[in-house]
Amino acid sequence: MNLPIVWHVLGWIMTLEAGFMALPCAVAVIYGEESGWYFVWVALLELLIAVPLIVNKPRSNVFYIREGCVATALGWIVMSVMGCLPFYFSREIPRFTDALFETVSGFTTTGASVLSDVESLSYCMLFWRSFTHWIGGMGVLVFLLTVLQMPGGSRMNLMKAESPGPTVGKLRPKVRQTARILYAIYFVLTVAEIVLLMAGGMPWFDSVTTAFGSAGTGGFGIKNDSLMSYSPYIQWVTAVFMTLFGVNFSFYYLLLYRKWKQAFTFEEVRTYLLIILAATGLIILDLRHVGLAPADTVRDAFFQVSSIITTTGFSSVDFNLWPETSRTVLVILMFIGACAGSTGGGIKVSRFSVVFKTMFKELHSYVFPHSVRKIKVDGKSVEHEVIRGINVFFLTFMVLFTLSVLCLSLEGRDLVTNFTAVAATINNIGPGLELVGPTGNFGLFSDFSKYVLIFDMLAGRLEMFPILVLFYPPTWRDTLRRRRA
Amino acid sequence: MLLKQAEKRDKKKGLNIIIVGCGKVGMSIVDQLSREDHDITVIDNDPQAVQTVTNLYDVIGIVGNGASFSVQTEAGVESADILISVTGSDELNLLCCIAAKRASNCAVIARVRTPDYSDDTAYLKGRLGLAMIINPEKESAREIARIVSLPTALGVSSFARGLAEMVRVRIPEPHYLHGKRLHELSRELDGAVLVCAVERNGEVYIPDGSFQLLSGDAVTFICPSRGAKLFLNRIGFRTNQTRDALIIGGSKAGYYLARMLLAQGVEVRIIESNRDRCEQLSTFLPHATIIHGDGTDADMLREAGIETVDAVIPLTGIDEENIMLTLHAQAVSNAKVVTKINRIMFPEAIERLNLGSVVCPKLIITDIIVAYVRARSASKDYNIETLVHLFDNRVEAIEFLAEAGSPVVDKPLKDLQLRDNLLVCCINRRGSILIPGGDECIREGDSVIIVTKHAGLRELVDILA
Repeated sequence: MNLPIVWHVLGWIMTLEAGFMALPCAVAVIYGEESGWYFVWVALLELLIAVPLIVNKPRSNVFYIREGCVATALGWIVMSVMGCLPFYFSREIPRFTDALFETVSGFTTTGASVLSDVESLSYCMLFWRSFTHWIGGMGVLVFLLTVLQMPGGSRMNLMKAESPGPTVGKLRPKVRQTARILYAIYFVLTVAEIVLLMAGGMPWFDSVTTAFGSAGTGGFGIKNDSLMSYSPYIQWVTAVFMTLFGVNFSFYYLLLYRKWKQAFTFEEVRTYLLIILAATGLIILDLRHVGLAPADTVRDAFFQVSSIITTTGFSSVDFNLWPETSRTVLVILMFIGACAGSTGGGIKVSRFSVVFKTMFKELHSYVFPHSVRKIKVDGKSVEHEVIRGINVFFLTFMVLFTLSVLCLSLEGRDLVTNFTAVAATINNIGPGLELVGPTGNFGLFSDFSKYVLIFDMLAGRLEMFPILVLFYPPTWRDTLRRRRA
Repeated sequence: MLLKQAEKRDKKKGLNIIIVGCGKVGMSIVDQLSREDHDITVIDNDPQAVQTVTNLYDVIGIVGNGASFSVQTEAGVESADILISVTGSDELNLLCCIAAKRASNCAVIARVRTPDYSDDTAYLKGRLGLAMIINPEKESAREIARIVSLPTALGVSSFARGLAEMVRVRIPEPHYLHGKRLHELSRELDGAVLVCAVERNGEVYIPDGSFQLLSGDAVTFICPSRGAKLFLNRIGFRTNQTRDALIIGGSKAGYYLARMLLAQGVEVRIIESNRDRCEQLSTFLPHATIIHGDGTDADMLREAGIETVDAVIPLTGIDEENIMLTLHAQAVSNAKVVTKINRIMFPEAIERLNLGSVVCPKLIITDIIVAYVRARSASKDYNIETLVHLFDNRVEAIEFLAEAGSPVVDKPLKDLQLRDNLLVCCINRRGSILIPGGDECIREGDSVIIVTKHAGLRELVDILA
């Protein structure tokens, strides 16, 4: 393990975070809030730690996937720990575990909160909370790659570790250009949403934070009732943008370069939109007895579906009170998640479609035992390695999920709460059902359960293995051995 | 908007390059070009090979047949500047290039190895519009032939269209050169010779006048082509004329080498195990002695005269066999041995074997392509004549064409602010080779040979600090 280069990357991550903290400072200045100072102190602290790490250039440029995973996982942990300090020092979130949970939930774009009264936070803290979504949505390391000139092999391995999806597709030959294009699309879409929200009469602070929440598919609201009290127009805009951010960003790239044919035959995006349509239809049917106006039903159904499948977690209605079929549909959507290569979490549509195709292939082989059939996506056959990776991902996901539910059950709450609490965190959604529903929060769990959920959120965001590698002893064996020698 | 700007900035620095084929040569080219900030797309039929390349380098990979229009389109051939086809098949390479040439106006380079096509270079370039035909077997044969005709040298590279040679020798122990400072040496010999790079204990130096040579140093010097032998003689190296050479293995490289050596008047023997190939060779090379037999058999080699020939060149297709044959030849005879190594998987181990002269086709080819690409990416095209990497890519020797209006032209060299670790070592002025002193000026139309530790020089102006 080439640890010096990992430290070097960590140094840059902290510098970057310190830079990002300038924004909440600016908000504090605008609203004249004292608590803005905490961001200054934490930023300085980060720079103090980071500068020696950056100045100390690593001797070797060896950077394999192992270094990529460790740098990414440690990077996210360090970033979360540092990012929670303003909340903790300012006593606005008085307990460290809570502050950390809130920040991890922010960076991983989960949006699960431990706070019962969000509105009591100061503006700069609220802003930082939502801003962490925006940073975490596309990823810090991807951002780092747009500005830093890293040695050759490291770029791809960092991007691989951080980007969601079974395979990482580069848009351009260089990682740097790819990262820039991704961030440009991300930025433009975010600005578009802010403008449209403000056009609907939403105050600027609310528009910006809501846009951050939906761009990163995070879901931290700045109101206790999420988006329930905003106008239908704002809810529509948010719902549509959530869907947009759940689309594979390669799609926008194809549109940008006028590759229409490829764009409109993009299998994953089509399946994703189809699922949204089907789920919305199903819920509308299920809600027809509730007695709302048809327009409201359609909006509520679409908003919730869009929010859950993209793993954002905003709510325009307390869906915990919906009939059982609708609730079940939402829970299923939690697992499906958004497209690979988007800012959303979950298992991802592309993985599901490959798994279904594998299933049918297996069925086919029962009828024609000697048949040979290649699984194809977008007309191209999928390599066996990729399919194997997807299957292993599924298994790992299940194992981690089951163990987490078991850990939570030790506290003796009901299964639906525990099950959806884990589902909502490991898939980076936010609210679950029952006690952790849209109007509830995660504050009721013990510290132990919170750490389990923090682990789930990170594992979910980084898609299991980068985080698991960190806890796998052989990763560290050679490093420790050399130390001792 | 932001995107366009960023792209423009990137554009200025790098070219869009498509490389078809991720074999040994393809990898080596990717390795070198990706360091020079180009946008590289690789195409190969084998997903595994593509995976390996994209894992190691910052390039984009496409699995498919490089000659197919749709695959080329996917690789962005319309916006490509250069397409390099280096798959194992000559026909596929030519087809790739022709298809790409029809689809866009990029420059195309093909690797062509069989003599059948290789002798059609003029036609391929002129009629089919290929920018360059590269033939690793022929180029390595050329380099081997140069070394064979100067047997004391570890390596010989040619510059200024063959008028100047850059020669690498190791100073034996004890020797006249041991402890000599370079300015003393040049006073004593006053010949047209310049020492331009020295390797000592793994470190490379670009020496100045006060540099002191020691035994064991690997010294690179440049001189006019016929001067090398004379110079080596004067400083006490044994430089016998090579009269006969034994080539083990009648491969393509063997054929090219035999042709070149015969042209130099060297008597050539070729051992080849395939009967049909022997007859073929004897048809094409009537003046060579073709021996049918197993080149890895010691008795066979003795029969072919390995103990008495002046040069032995193992050219079986297998690196390990070549290395074993080299060691065997070193043990049983005093012949000059040149080893051709195709893959070089373990450079450190090979270094320790002390094989003497090693020729690696993929590196020769990579240098030629890098020279071409760098010239293309400079502000003015076609200003690089030759590029050679020395000492494992740590030193570059580049031959630039000096153009009118360049800030380095018509000024005494001592007045130019040159970068450190850089030496202007030779000027070719309309066919005469000058070793420049401080008062010499570079003139328009000269080709100037630079030796430097800086990588990535693209034009002559880059020599300024």
